[in-house]
Amino acid sequence: MLQNKDLRVKIAQMVKLSGEGHIPSSYSIVDLIDHLYGKVLRYDPKNPTWKERDYFILSKGHGCGGLYAVLHKYGFLTDCDIEDYSTSRGRLGGHPDSTIVPGAEASTGSLGHGFPTAVGLALGLRIQNRLNHVFTLLGDGECHEGTIWESANVANNLRLGNLCAVIDWNGSAAQLMPRDNLPEKWRAFGWETYEVDGHNPTALEEVFSKLKFAPDGSPKVVVAHTIKGKGVGFIEGHGKWHHRIPTDGEMAAILKELS
Amino acid sequence: MKKLREEFADTMLEVGPGDPRLVVMVGDISHGILQPFAKACPGRYYNIGICEPTIVNMAAGLSKVGLIPVLHTIAPFITERAYEQIKLDFGYQNLGVNLISVGGAFDYAQLGCSHHCYTDVSLISHLKRGVVVLPGSPIEMNKLFKEIYANGKINYYRLPEHAHGVEFTYGDIHFGQGIRIREGRDVTIAVIGTQLRTAIAVADRLTGEGISIELLYFHTLKPFDTELVRASAEKTRRLITVEELSAHDGLFNLCLRACLGIDGMAAEQIAIEDFIHGYGSYEELCSKIGMTVDGVARIARRLVRKTL
Repeated sequence: MLQNKDLRVKIAQMVKLSGEGHIPSSYSIVDLIDHLYGKVLRYDPKNPTWKERDYFILSKGHGCGGLYAVLHKYGFLTDCDIEDYSTSRGRLGGHPDSTIVPGAEASTGSLGHGFPTAVGLALGLRIQNRLNHVFTLLGDGECHEGTIWESANVANNLRLGNLCAVIDWNGSAAQLMPRDNLPEKWRAFGWETYEVDGHNPTALEEVFSKLKFAPDGSPKVVVAHTIKGKGVGFIEGHGKWHHRIPTDGEMAAILKELS
Repeated sequence: MKKLREEFADTMLEVGPGDPRLVVMVGDISHGILQPFAKACPGRYYNIGICEPTIVNMAAGLSKVGLIPVLHTIAPFITERAYEQIKLDFGYQNLGVNLISVGGAFDYAQLGCSHHCYTDVSLISHLKRGVVVLPGSPIEMNKLFKEIYANGKINYYRLPEHAHGVEFTYGDIHFGQGIRIREGRDVTIAVIGTQLRTAIAVADRLTGEGISIELLYFHTLKPFDTELVRASAEKTRRLITVEELSAHDGLFNLCLRACLGIDGMAAEQIAIEDFIHGYGSYEELCSKIGMTVDGVARIARRLVRKTL
């Protein structure tokens, strides 16, 4: 059964109203992000820079509709923030700006930046003897960037056991480069590797509860099998919907599928 | 005189024990000379390897938790190769970092153009929070680092392979202020880095020919000491810049902006126009682009003749 219909509606409404956004990329990851904020991360929405918080970096910044909907659900963002998405009045845009968005730990958008930042965060926290955990969510297409594998190598060699990457493996990358066995690649880089159905709450609960964090140990990666555009049949997959704004008729159809 | 790179390592050893925020990451250079720092500050030294964009990007993570990253490797790889990381991870996100390079310009003359770097200063200067210092002697590195390393900005230090040889005192060096090395009335020569020694030789030679040189030295290019240049140019009306930087953006441009509106001003630039192909010593590559005592003196004489 489809989860998070309400979040998906909110994402579609933000994109429709503003004329900007990546609906399928956001639908691919919204269940993952909701699970992390709902069940895994420690945070205080009233104090987003709380020193004891866990860090979450959305490395694939163009999926930020999913992040914003979740940050709104858990109290970081207001109704006005959502309504003013991608306007000069607001503070939310097509990629997150960490200097103005509460809860956005890094300004991402150019792919291949958020993940190395997370590696640096994990190292910095360990240097300071802090026990916070660091999570970051990457796209499978983003895994084409060289900095991802540079950082994966560094994180393993530095034994950053306080770090967990989550991969949105929705098949985008395999359209271009079909030899795309991501679990095998991450294992080869020495990461403790898990696979999960990224839209199944029970499976997510099971996999994230297995993770054992420590300041010194293997970094962990959860490769999530996802569907781009998950939840609305006619936008699922890798076609024209990647950066498309729905027409009035298409919007009605989206809302109908999510009702 | 001590090598600038050695002074960098000594300065880390001096500052690090007293500031637990300081973390040094290198791209597989200077590993040996930084071991005293590594021993004195356990857990705060990392040789990350040959992956400069990742080093810079990781440093943003360190900065986000309140640490002060100091990154060190060869100039083209930390500035040109990793510029998007500097721009987005530090510029866009308002974070602080210290980037310490060696091998700027053509210091690695025998290694060829892959190891040259002419645009580093320009690139960092494009960032509003970018700070650019070019210490030309060990004491400058020590003083300037201690003055600015914790300012939360994007501090770039270009360390030349060859110190200029002038012995400054601590009191001579102030971040953001140029130094008038010599007073003169006919031609202002503005200079950075190792080329100070060339400029001093030019001034000596031309004094013997009755041409009086005012010599200005800049260890800081951003912020730039516009007042010093302007006051000098108003007096001499003739300016030459000698800079191991891209001719398309550097000391010459800064000086011209400082001198806007000065009547009858003549100016010439000696800088790096394009890739300096071929190999040889540092001095031989200087000769290829006219950055020699003969070359600078010739231009100074021409300026004087043209504007008499």
